[in-house]
Order: sequence, then C-alpha cells, then structure tokens
Amino acid sequence: MNRPAPHPVPSRSLPPASRWPREHLGTLLALAALVLVFSLATRHFFSPANFRTIANQIPSALLVATGMTYILLLGQIDLSVGSVLALSGAVVGVALSQGHWPLPAAALAGLAAGALCGAFNGLVTLRWRLPTFIVTLGTLEMARGGAHALTHSQTLYLGSAIESLADANVLGFSLPFLIAITVVLAAQLLLTRTVFGRHVIAIGTNPEAARLAGINTRPVQLAVFVSTGCLVALAALIDCSRFQAANPNAGIGLELQAIAAAVIGGTSLMGGRGSVVGTFIGVLIIAVLNSGLAAVGAKEELKRLITGAVIIAAVIADLYRHRRP
Amino acid sequence: MRPTLAMRGLCKSYATPVLDGIDLDLLPGEVHALVGENGAGKSTLSRILAGLTPPDSGTLELEGEPYSPSNKRAAEQAGIHLVMQELNLIRTLSVAENIFLDHLPHRAGWIRYPQLHRDAAEVLARIGLPHLDPQTPVEQLGVGQQQMVEIASRLWRPCRVLILDEPTAALTDPEVASLFHQIRQLQSQGVAILYISHRLEEIRQIANRISVLRDGHLVATRLATELPIDDVVRLMVGRELGTANFTAGRTRGPIALAVRNLHAGDRVQNISFDAFRGEILGVSGLMGSGRTETVRAIFGADPIESGQIFLHGNTQPATIRSPRDAVRLGIALLTEDRKGQGLFLSLAVRENLTVNTLPSFASAVGWISRIRETASVRGWLQKLQVRCDSPEQGIAQLSGGNQQKVVVARWLLRDCDILLFDEPTRGVDVGARFEIYQLLADLAAQGKCIVVVSSDLTELMMISDRIAVLSNGRLTAEFTRHAWTQDKIMAAALSGYLSPTTTP
Amino acid sequence: MNRYPSLALLTCLALSFFTACGPSQPEATTPPSPPNSPTRPRIALVMKSLANEFFLTMENGAKAHQKTNASPYDLLANGIKDELDVTRQIDMVEQMIAQRVDAIVLAPADSKALVASCKKAQDAGIVVVNIDNKLDAAVLAEKKTQIPFVGPNNRIGARKVGDFLASKLQPGDPVAVIEGAPNAFNGQQRRQGFVDAFDAAKLRIVSSQSGYWETDKANQVAAAVLSEHPEIKAFACANDSMALGAVAALRAAGKAGQVLVVGFDNISAAHSMIQEGRMLATADQHADQIAVFGIEYALQLLATRAAPADRETPVDLITPTP
Repeated sequence: MNRPAPHPVPSRSLPPASRWPREHLGTLLALAALVLVFSLATRHFFSPANFRTIANQIPSALLVATGMTYILLLGQIDLSVGSVLALSGAVVGVALSQGHWPLPAAALAGLAAGALCGAFNGLVTLRWRLPTFIVTLGTLEMARGGAHALTHSQTLYLGSAIESLADANVLGFSLPFLIAITVVLAAQLLLTRTVFGRHVIAIGTNPEAARLAGINTRPVQLAVFVSTGCLVALAALIDCSRFQAANPNAGIGLELQAIAAAVIGGTSLMGGRGSVVGTFIGVLIIAVLNSGLAAVGAKEELKRLITGAVIIAAVIADLYRHRRP
Repeated sequence: MRPTLAMRGLCKSYATPVLDGIDLDLLPGEVHALVGENGAGKSTLSRILAGLTPPDSGTLELEGEPYSPSNKRAAEQAGIHLVMQELNLIRTLSVAENIFLDHLPHRAGWIRYPQLHRDAAEVLARIGLPHLDPQTPVEQLGVGQQQMVEIASRLWRPCRVLILDEPTAALTDPEVASLFHQIRQLQSQGVAILYISHRLEEIRQIANRISVLRDGHLVATRLATELPIDDVVRLMVGRELGTANFTAGRTRGPIALAVRNLHAGDRVQNISFDAFRGEILGVSGLMGSGRTETVRAIFGADPIESGQIFLHGNTQPATIRSPRDAVRLGIALLTEDRKGQGLFLSLAVRENLTVNTLPSFASAVGWISRIRETASVRGWLQKLQVRCDSPEQGIAQLSGGNQQKVVVARWLLRDCDILLFDEPTRGVDVGARFEIYQLLADLAAQGKCIVVVSSDLTELMMISDRIAVLSNGRLTAEFTRHAWTQDKIMAAALSGYLSPTTTP
Repeated sequence: MNRYPSLALLTCLALSFFTACGPSQPEATTPPSPPNSPTRPRIALVMKSLANEFFLTMENGAKAHQKTNASPYDLLANGIKDELDVTRQIDMVEQMIAQRVDAIVLAPADSKALVASCKKAQDAGIVVVNIDNKLDAAVLAEKKTQIPFVGPNNRIGARKVGDFLASKLQPGDPVAVIEGAPNAFNGQQRRQGFVDAFDAAKLRIVSSQSGYWETDKANQVAAAVLSEHPEIKAFACANDSMALGAVAALRAAGKAGQVLVVGFDNISAAHSMIQEGRMLATADQHADQIAVFGIEYALQLLATRAAPADRETPVDLITPTP
C-alpha cells in the first residue's frame, strides 16, 4: 500500500547497435594472450599447420556449444548433449556397419535420433513445466543406455564408409570445420536478425512478460530443443567420421564443456543474454588451452586446474563488464 | 492511563510523504482499529512499529522508554509483534516447527520433538484449534488455518503490542470468531492491539477505538461507540476532490467489450460489465478485491472458470484461452508489475517496443529489417514523447513514466484497440503521472476502449467516464461521472465485506 | 527468470551424485544358488565397466565357460558403471563377502584401493583371485597378504608390440607414447613395456602423455604432439580406443600412413584398422579367456587349498594378416 518509490532518471546510454566487437573484446584479448603465451613457450604452436589442426578438432564441440547457447539463452539447460551425441553416433554406426545403409540415409537416421531426443526434452519440459535440469538429467542416462544397447557396448568400426566426410577439404579446412563455421554464422544471424531469435531472447529475459505480450512461447522453445538435438547429431556424425568409429562412450562430460564454452563467451545461465559468436570464441579458448597445454606437455591435472580457473575468471570478468558503475 | 506505545510526530516519505506527523497512543488492553484507503499509510505505520522500516523523523515510546527497533527481531524482543497480510510460513515444515521456528527446543542442536509438539498443542488449543495436529505440514492446511497458525506463532511470545494487518481476509466465520475470542483474552491480559482492516463490520464488533488515516495524516481518533460507519467512510475519503478533468472532448462510441458472468478463482465472482470505444472505464476497489484478477482473466492470462466475453458488439462470445488469443483479438494488458511482467529489463527500448510486432518488420522468412524497425520505434517514441537518448538505450535506465509509455507504444504498434491498464501510474512520479493521464485521454479520444484499474481513487475520478467498483470479488456498483462521490464509491468498495452472503 | 541460480555448481553436484550412487544393485547375471545345493561353489566375478567392450568380452567368456564346464559352479558376474568408480567396486566386493560366496575373481579398478577389501574377503575365508590389473605389490606386502594374480603380463605384451614397431623404424627416430590413466597399474606396465622396446632399439621418445584411455583426449594429445614434433614417426598407445584418436589426428594433419600407430587390447575396430593398414599392430590378451583362467584357478584353489601363486596368461601380437 506504500506510495511508489521514486525512480531515478539516468542519463547514460548503452553502446550502439553494433555491440559485438566491443562485447567480445575481453575474450578476444584473452584468446590472443593464450596464443601468444603458447607460441613463446613451444616451437611449433604458432604455425599454420597447428592452427589447421585446432580448426579441425573443434567442429563437433562448436556445434554442440551453439545448440547449448540457444538453450541457455532461453534460461534452460541441456545436460543430455553428451549422451545424445553417443546415441546419434550409435544409430549412424549401426545403420552403416550392420544395416549397410548408404551414408546419406544413415546420416539422416542419426539426425532423426538427435531431433527426437531434443523433442523429448522439450515436450516433457513444456508439458509438465518441469525444470530442464531434471528432464535432461534423465535423458542423459536414457540416451547413454540406448547407445550401449544399440552397439552392445562395442566400439563399431566404420572405416571408409564414412571417412569421406571428415577428409573432404577446401583450402586446407576440413568439411566439418566449414559446416560448423556456417552453422555458427547462421545461428548468430538467426539470433540477432530474425523474429525467431528476438523471441528467444525475449522469452529467456522474462518468460512471463513474453507470454503476456502475446508471444506463443512453446513452439519457440520446442524449436530450440529440437534444433539443439539436430546439432548434436551433426556433431556425432562428424565425430564418427573423424574416428571412423562409433563409440558408445563418446561425449562423456561434453555438456559441461559446452556450458563452459558458452559461459566463457559471455552467455548468462539466467537466460536472455549471450551470443553464438561469443560461444565460438569460448570454444576457441578451450581448444587453444587444450592444444597448447598438450604441446607444452602439461600433465592432465594441471590442464584441468587451468581450464577451471579460466572458466571462473571469465565469469568474474563478465560480471564486471555488465555491472553498472 | 499510561499508553503502552506512544507515537509522536512520525514521518515517512518515499516519493511523496506517506506518513506525516502521526501522533497516536496505544493503550494497554485496548483494540485500536486503524482504517484508511489504499495508500493512506496504514501498512507503512505498522512496518515502522514492527521494526521493518525506520521512520524519517518522530519518536516512539514503549511504556515510557524510548523505543527504536532496528529490525523485526528487536521489535519482537521488546514485545511488539506484527502479523502481516502475506503469510510468512514455511510450507514444507510442520505447524509446530513453524510456530517455534526461531525458538526450537533443543539439546546440543537436536530438536526435542516431544516438547515441541506439546508446547505447540498448548498454543493451538489457546487459539481455538485444539484438534489441529502440530505435526501436520503447513502446506496441507487451508489458507484460513495457515493464517491462524501464523497468528499462533506470535501469540506464545511475551507480547505487549500485537499488530494485525487484515487478519481476517482469508478466514471463515468460525475462525474469525475464535480469533476474536483470542484477541479479547489478550486484551484482558493488558496487551495493546492495533487492528488494521477495511472490514468495518468486524471493527464494530471488536474495536474500542478507531483511528482514520488519510493521505498520511491521522484525521481522527475516536471511541468506537461515538463513530458510526458512515462517518468512518466520510473521514477515510475526505472532502477534497481532484480538480483536473481529463474527460473533455470525446464522445462515447460503440460497445467494444462486454463481460458477462465471469468467474475465475475466488477473487472473480460473477463479474459483468460493458466498456465502450472512446471512453475510459475506471475499476476501483480495495486491495485484494479482484481488480487485477478480473483484467487478467479477460486477457486470458489466468484461466476462466465460466462466463463470456463479447468483443466489438459481436453476438458470438470470443474464445480467449491465452494472452496470444487476446492479443490477436486486439486486447492489450499493461500489468501492474511492470518490471516483473511487462518489461524485458536487460534489453533496449527498441527491443521492448517491438517484441510482439516483429513480423511486421520482417520478410516472409523472418528476417528483420533493422532500418524499418528503428524508424518505427523512433516515430512512436516521438509521438508519445518518451524521453530517452536513443532507441538503443537500455529500458532499465528510463524513468517509470517513460517505461510505461514504451509499453503503451508496444500495444499501439500492435494496433490493439481494447487496452486494459492495471495501475498505470504505479512507479511513476507525480509530475509524469499527468502525462500518462493525458496519454490515456488522447487514446480514448482516438476511439480506443480504455479500462483502467487503480488503487488511487482520485486518479480514477480525474480520468474516468465511468467507474465500476469491485468488492470482495464481486462488482458491487457502477457510477457515471455525474452520479459518483468518493463516499459512495468507498461505501461500495467496502460493501462486499460487510456481510459475506450479500450478492450485488 | 532466476530459475537456475548457481547452476554450474548444481550441475557438478548432481553429476557427481549421479555417478557416485550409480545403480544400487549389482547386475547379477545368475541368481544366487539355491540353499539346497551346498556343494556347488559360488564364484563372484567382479569386473570394471561393462560399458567397456573389453570387460564385456571377458564376461561373455566367463558365462560360456560356466555353461560348459565339467564341474558345475554358480557365477555372479558384476561390473561397475564407470571404470573410475573405485568406491562402487569396493562396495561390490563387500557385498559379495556378505553374500558368503566361495571365491571372488576381481579385476580391480584401482591397484591399491581394492587391497583392503580383498584382505577382508580372505579373512572371511573366501578365495580371492586377482585378474587383469595386478594389485600393488607394496600395498599387499604392507597388509601382509598374498593374492594370486592371473593375467597377462602387460609389460611383456607392450614390449612385443613395441619391438614390432621398432623393427619398422631406424635408430634415433622420434616416437611418442600415449599413456593410460596414470593410476592404473596395467597402464603403467604398458608404458614401461613400450619404453623397454624403444630404449632397446635406440628410438627417441619425444613425448609421453596420458590420454586417460579415451579416444577424444588421445586425439587432442596426438594432434598437439604432431604439430609440436612434426618429425614424429610413431605413436604407441596404451589402448586401442586411444589409438583410434591418434589415427584421426594423423588424418586431420594429412599424415595418414606416414606415421605408425600401435595400440593394445585388439578391440574389433582396431582389428579392422590393422587389416586396412591404418594401424600397425596391437596386442591381444584374450579377454574372453582372462576371466576363465581366473575362475579355473579359483576352482582349483578351492579344491586343493594349495598355496597361491601368480599365473601368467598369454598375450599375442596382432599384425596384419598377409
């Protein structure tokens, strides 16, 4: 019943529309610093061959992290991506090695498996208004079980049936890398330039306000879940092709890696804020860290220590960047 | 008799003075009723006494000693307890645990449940709930019983002053009776009770003295026997009328919105009314009378149990199952909780303004033309005279009034012609309020159908062509400009609480 | 909006909880023997992750043996969900002690942490046979106990693979080792076997890092080693899953066929790769027979109560069939 509190009229203004170069200045600098450190510390880090190697390693992580960014933008989370990757890979593997399907058909089957997992996550979450944390934790177990059931816990050897995908290359970059870059660009434009993307941001920022504004929030959310499933399946296809094998144990811990990349790139776990380009930089930072630390010959425990510290530092830096003075 | 609690010159301001020089004595063993309109300052006063808010100036004396509680705990240690309107129980814990939450009997940290349950049963018996098992989880109780448990959790403590803020809002008649019985017992023990309510009938039964607050001033303190209900109402409303009139220069058009026998939850019971193009319909009522619930139900934000809504004079009722349906039919709702339910606080003005009209700037595949979007936003910002640096400025940096204008622009851009405003000037400072009033008047003059829900009666009387009054979930009266007086509106707002069985 | 505060923390908590608790019941593949047949010995086979092809093969071999063996016995085969979940395996051994089985055949997930449980089993009069991954000698000595080990000598197996690899290279050639998880004895043994072979052939080991038994991790390590040491001639991997990762790194770097890769375990995928010439060699320690050897030895010990001694099982070098 109190009288309304006074509302201050601030005079500062936000940066103009083209926010992203400035938005990502911090992470880009961090990336550059890492490259510099490793270039000085090792003989061959700063070489086109090494950068090409890194570029060819990141596509699957990049695709999964892109999907995860959209999920986080909605204010949701998906813990099942690692298992879904294994399941989609298993579907591709079984279709190729036991069904002797042609590659396109097997690839479609894998994509369908990923899309179904995404749809399952989305429908259960929306129908019963459950936290995605719980739903996707369940899917994590189920999809892993499915992957083991399909492959009888054996790594399926696929050989030349699938290697063409990873080996195709344009200007020294593998096809998977080009696919992943295309997806990142498309996802970024979708986010910033289309009705769909704006609705994702609005729902993630304030779901109730979005609903009361008359936005049909369910189809938007469902589409994000299904697309994420598809992106994960695409990553599975790329992994199968890289390793020429479908491994039911693939992707363990991938969800945390994807979340870490998104968070390093400035995506908020509360929803509504983040960008795919930022996530791309986050994936690069993690990949450079991994590659550089391996080139230095650092021990696994040190790698983990440093990666963890980078994640926390990134979140703290982000906090300062967005805190109003 | 020395007062238990004496208030001298209490003042409190937020944007405007909320309490201004309150002098009031609470005597031992009296039930002192405090009445007043929404926003008169009742809650602020009780919060000051209970240590939740410090006063700007003025002093308190508790039994002759200076009393300035720094927090709720300090107030409770001094023997001053506040039972608030909102329930403060922990739903997953048992009744006994809630009653003794901050004084759980224990030995080295281990709760002594037998003692806890024995003590709780005793307290419950005292308040007239001898059959309630202290081990019941609170979430299994009805709201009325929860309210009683809340009161019980105060009553076992050493108590000198008990403040009850609308204690009976959720209680059934027998529960009210046992509460009153308990109050009389405390009274006989010499406890001073400050009883805040707008249920004048109950005040008649229980109060010894009545104080009336109006706009932060204490306008009267009288013995209950010397103050008839009509006088209470007149004192609450006062005599000054809003001088400004925002209704000039418009004519009522065809019917836009007809609501028939709407039911939705406890707070919307059989509501029917009409609203026309080219007019502003004000909706008045006390806090909790069902105003917000009614507009939300019309907008499809909450489910409707029964009733029909006819739009634009159609004979077929409209189907509104979600806000999306309502928006498609040209209805807009501007919520009272602008920050929580209206704005996207971390986004820019532009994004807030166009959130539900994006397809009109986009190609068939959903590609937004940023140029057309920004141009349109600029146009509306200018039209509504929104003060901001650029369309890219963060909405959180705008003042309340300018934020409200952006939300209005959102709906105008969407081409909605039935606009439901819930507390349009909440969080808007006084100067900017008149701009909002003018904006509403302009919209009505353009032929929009405007429904305004407001707690501020003066505001409604300045801008409305008609005022519908809700009381206790029912529509109790409807007045035209020439027929209304503040007294009549206030009486109608209270009428639903006088006798629970009355139907309008 | 604030639906998921401190989610990262929650995530970690929930995940660790999930892996720590796992399934609470062991997946018994044969019901415990009915009480009316007391003469049939009950043997518990406790393995590492059944999600790992190697142990699945091991289990299948044991089951086949149980069906066809002349003197009948009951088999309780159990695995853990995650290969690194040592706690869960300890729980499982103790469950078997409580069930009063006659013998426990154990493939320990950790060569030190399981010793105490094994001692407990022995004290309860249960015959314990250690297979696959040898328990740590120092800890055994400290506990004043002896547990017979039946299994391949990983060091000698790795030496065989390493020798074969060395025969394809010149002295002084740079090579890299991708190790298993550092806490696993068999991983250390395989690494040592590779090192023995390379030292003998005077090869230069330029990098030796852990790939934690995983394809993906090994791939990252191999890729980094490739760009840091472009002159590298071979990768020796402590298991085949990691060899898959190394092969992928070679392909990505355009060096497929120019750098040799060897592994260990002879999983089916590696077998195919060797036939196609993408890998040079691996070692087969006859997973299907390891558990069988252990069970047979346990039966023998139960019958004779002889003093336990270690037994070595064969490890064969797998190279392309001409």
